[in-house]
Amino acid sequence: MNANAVTANTAGRGQNNNSGGASSRAPTDPGVRGGDPGAGGALPGLNDVERQYFDVAKDVFQEVDAGPDGLGPRFNLDSCSGCHSQPTIGGTSPATNPQVAVATLMGAKNVVPSFITANGPVREARFVRNRDGSPDGGVHSLFVITGRSDAPGCNIAQPNFAAELARNNVVFRIPTPVFGLGLVENVSDGALEASLAANAQQKRALGISGRFNRNGNDGTIARFGWKAQNKSLLLFSGEAYNVEMGITNELFQNERDSDPACQFKVTPNDSTPLVSENTASPAASFQNDIDLFAAFMRFSAPPTPASSAATPVAQASGALNATAGQTTGAAAGTSTASSPTSTASSPTSATSGSASTTSDAASTAPSTASTASSPASTVVASATADVSSVITAAAGSSTAQPSSSASSGASVTRGNQVFSNVGCQACHTKTFTTEKSPLTGQSNVTLQPFSDFAVHEMGTGLADGVSQGSANGNEFRTAPLWGVGQRIFFLHDGRTKDLHEAIQQHASRGSEANAVINNYNLLSRDDKQALINYLRSL
Amino acid sequence: MRVWLYLGIAVCLAGIGAVLHGAMPSSLRGKIVQSANPEDGKVIDGVFVSDYFNLSYRLPDGWTEGLAGPPPSQSGYYVLGTWAPKRDFAGTILVVAQDMFFAPEPSDDVKNVVAEFRQVMSAVDGMTIDREPAPVTVGGHPGYRIDFSGVGLFRSMFAIEIRCHVVTFNLTSRDLESLASLAHSLDDLASVRKEEISDPVPECLKDYASENIVSRVEPDAVGAKAASIPVRMILATDGSVKHVHVIRASATQRRNIEEAVRQWKFKSYVKGGRPVEVETGVMFNLKPTNM
Repeated sequence: MNANAVTANTAGRGQNNNSGGASSRAPTDPGVRGGDPGAGGALPGLNDVERQYFDVAKDVFQEVDAGPDGLGPRFNLDSCSGCHSQPTIGGTSPATNPQVAVATLMGAKNVVPSFITANGPVREARFVRNRDGSPDGGVHSLFVITGRSDAPGCNIAQPNFAAELARNNVVFRIPTPVFGLGLVENVSDGALEASLAANAQQKRALGISGRFNRNGNDGTIARFGWKAQNKSLLLFSGEAYNVEMGITNELFQNERDSDPACQFKVTPNDSTPLVSENTASPAASFQNDIDLFAAFMRFSAPPTPASSAATPVAQASGALNATAGQTTGAAAGTSTASSPTSTASSPTSATSGSASTTSDAASTAPSTASTASSPASTVVASATADVSSVITAAAGSSTAQPSSSASSGASVTRGNQVFSNVGCQACHTKTFTTEKSPLTGQSNVTLQPFSDFAVHEMGTGLADGVSQGSANGNEFRTAPLWGVGQRIFFLHDGRTKDLHEAIQQHASRGSEANAVINNYNLLSRDDKQALINYLRSL
Repeated sequence: MRVWLYLGIAVCLAGIGAVLHGAMPSSLRGKIVQSANPEDGKVIDGVFVSDYFNLSYRLPDGWTEGLAGPPPSQSGYYVLGTWAPKRDFAGTILVVAQDMFFAPEPSDDVKNVVAEFRQVMSAVDGMTIDREPAPVTVGGHPGYRIDFSGVGLFRSMFAIEIRCHVVTFNLTSRDLESLASLAHSLDDLASVRKEEISDPVPECLKDYASENIVSRVEPDAVGAKAASIPVRMILATDGSVKHVHVIRASATQRRNIEEAVRQWKFKSYVKGGRPVEVETGVMFNLKPTNM
């Protein structure tokens, strides 16, 4: 178990991590790219009624709650958008952590735990085990409303995080982006299952398997949350409202701390209004908050990648050719990356027994890691739509010659190839297609979330020891990579801001990703850099 | 209890002349136990040995075990080993096995597995098939080899079929010369001589359990989670269950299934006029207790 992720995690790593790879110098993460995220607004194609509904839902998502609204008595933050704000409303953890300020807002007397810092990620904390050694895994809210001017008489105390940290019993999660999740919700189980089975041979050559976290009630695939523990956006909303903000609702009706001195609103705190609330959307005027939170996610447009030519990239020399966003990677040295020498001869036969030269090849047929989409499908976001050219594969082994990053466009294009060649796409599946949708223009839409929505064994280095549904303490859902170019913090606990380091953290004892990370570490520095640049274009 | 044995290997290949017997730690010599499980292979004194697959392989000079892979999957997929150089990280060997009883989309033989793999890899942007799938023999087992390359990585896959598993050796290097050397090292892959084995290898029959069961006790379901649990079993000549291998399950599920399956009875399988042991598989689909 790795219970303290505040510092760089090396627990569980074997003696042969090979993170040095082909070059002793790591590639440079150019940092958060600028430009329009393409997300934060409504899905393209919605009609006026749906758009009005979305606008109200987005406003509610940004509401700051207080004691009279039912905040707490234990909570992590006081609004949805406080956690989900980078690069815009609905995203993930912002650069400045709002949890520091909320700790003492309105006279609250909370002590900010050591793992919460002003420039660190928004975090929730879970305890791995109870004091008696039995599994816990639940969220222990950081703050209490004690001392707040809107909570007179409440006198409960924060959990003793210092003691639990000393026991190595605290693990963390950061907010997941919620952009485009209506599209994800509308991908059929059959499509997810077909995707996981697709290219099974390639997965098996990389040590990858994966499985779905299925709902205990109906056996269907849960797909939201770090361990795919949440079945639906509504469930996701209801749980977060109570767990993160302490606001009970019609899905989670009971207070997590029922001290009567700390209750300042009827329970559940949020319920369906029976009288119109006179919002700009007649439909939204009769909705409770969790329905509107779910609607915000469901109607939310996915991130769109930057054009490759406009993506700020780091060159192999470590110099940035753009300064958008923040540079997180350490500046690399100045030596020019050299291409590895390769013997460009035809492969030598060296097999025991007979190595027949008789070609037994099957006919080449394009494979797909997605369900078949109909010709009428609409591409919402294409990671390669703006890539103008593809490096042409010459015959023989010439494709194995690394290219130099002559321009941002070439580097991003090359990075796309690297992504597929080393095996990232085996889990970070690029493309799915939605089913028929009740929303206007959302049926048969192609989305590119870069996730298979399965859970995978990620090894002791990332393990948090928390089981949720059928996901065990070592398993995590493949994190969707759409929009990753504008994220600040990476991995489930936000342990790093650097994409290269995030990639390395995929490898540890027991991880399905070890072979892919070995492939990454065998790359030339140029190609590692190209992959980082490509990810920053998403 | 497993007792490891490494006996002399009678496979000598041109240019190598390696005799495994000399490579085996003497402390490990004993009786081979055929009921070992696929994931039980180990590297000892630089030699990978697998009783279950009846294989041994001396790692290339200067190579060692890398990070251990994940536990067996719900589809009977195993990472048997990852090996890499101790110093200059210039390549890797990944050895995996797929149980063909439980494969998500089982191919009927290793030839088709490699053909499917070739189709997938040829569709990857920037990937080149350098050597079309071609028959080879590895460790005395017929199989197929394919070579491919892209983004500066040169790779070979050798696939062979053993006991209804497709075992693949996946070689990766940064240059062709090193790749050829790795491929050459597979010449050291060997099988323990059949006459040295204490028990005959069971007959591998995928659907034997469903068609020949005489009596069956159902395991107790555990908890509120649906679970598909693959189980391999070896049946004795009298139809009793000799060995149960619950491939992936919780500790409680494993215990419940083992207790139940050990009570199962099958018809004896007769081959050549004599009853022989059978290895077969069953997928348990446990429903949540609240469904």
